Amino acid sequence: MSAIATAEAGSHPVAHALPPDEYFGSATPGKIGMWIFLLSDAFSFGGLLLAYGILRGGSEVWHHPGEPPLGIPFTAFLTFLLICSSVTMVLAVAAATEGNRKQTMLFLALTALGGAGFLTGQFHEYFGLIPHHGLVHEGLIFGHSAYASTFYVITSFHGAHVFTGTVYILVTLARTAAGKTNANDVEILGLFWHFVDLIWILVFTFVYLL
Amino acid sequence: MAEHVDRRTYWIVFGTLAVLTVLEILVALPSMGVPRTPKVLALIAMALSKAGLVGLFFMHLKHEMRALKLTVALPFLFPALYAVVLIGEAGWRLIR
Repeated sequence: MSAIATAEAGSHPVAHALPPDEYFGSATPGKIGMWIFLLSDAFSFGGLLLAYGILRGGSEVWHHPGEPPLGIPFTAFLTFLLICSSVTMVLAVAAATEGNRKQTMLFLALTALGGAGFLTGQFHEYFGLIPHHGLVHEGLIFGHSAYASTFYVITSFHGAHVFTGTVYILVTLARTAAGKTNANDVEILGLFWHFVDLIWILVFTFVYLL
Repeated sequence: MAEHVDRRTYWIVFGTLAVLTVLEILVALPSMGVPRTPKVLALIAMALSKAGLVGLFFMHLKHEMRALKLTVALPFLFPALYAVVLIGEAGWRLIR
């Protein structure tokens, strides 16, 4: 086991440690793979946001009469929740790097809670947890306008990422509990989760605030 | 054995993200009466700053080697170019 593998892995060894690369240093193939996946995923969001920008930039009327405005204060709260979950995720990665399994599990659980909270909030925003609330009841109907359709497509595609990320966290949490993860695994999970937060920062601005 | 990770930067980034989010909402509120063009420019600048902070510090891109930084950053020039050209064109057709 090389020195670099020991430094990266904390208390657990990296299964397939490679010598440091001339260009990529000690970044593992898994980490580089996740970055490249995220890049392609970013382009999917880029395409959606671009289509949104073109439709909106070229439309004479964006908000048609009878369509509700988006609730900025509530979504701002969801944004803050996601930022907080990013912080708990970096703390989980830090704990994993230090080889502290209990703290890693605690912060992973808190991050998953943040993700579940966000999804609950998004469900409430769409359909309403209390009767007669929710955008679908207030007249924002998918397919009725470019405003409605771009809103649902972009935010639900992001919501699918939050859902995937939450499941990914829970799986990593279970594997950590079983002692089957190393710091690198948690770091790669962290990359995915921060990406979900990063995308939401952009979606919140372009779809809600602008 | 395991090294100690300095968490101070994380909290500074968290604080900055929170402050920028509050500023964004203040700028975006209709009651603040910010004109359209400065509002759009300010919001885009703040959103890109926040995204950059998350990428550089939470995703540790700042501490990666140059090849990985460039692999991740350079491809974004193309969507940025498309955005400027295509959205600009759509808007131009509207006001022409």
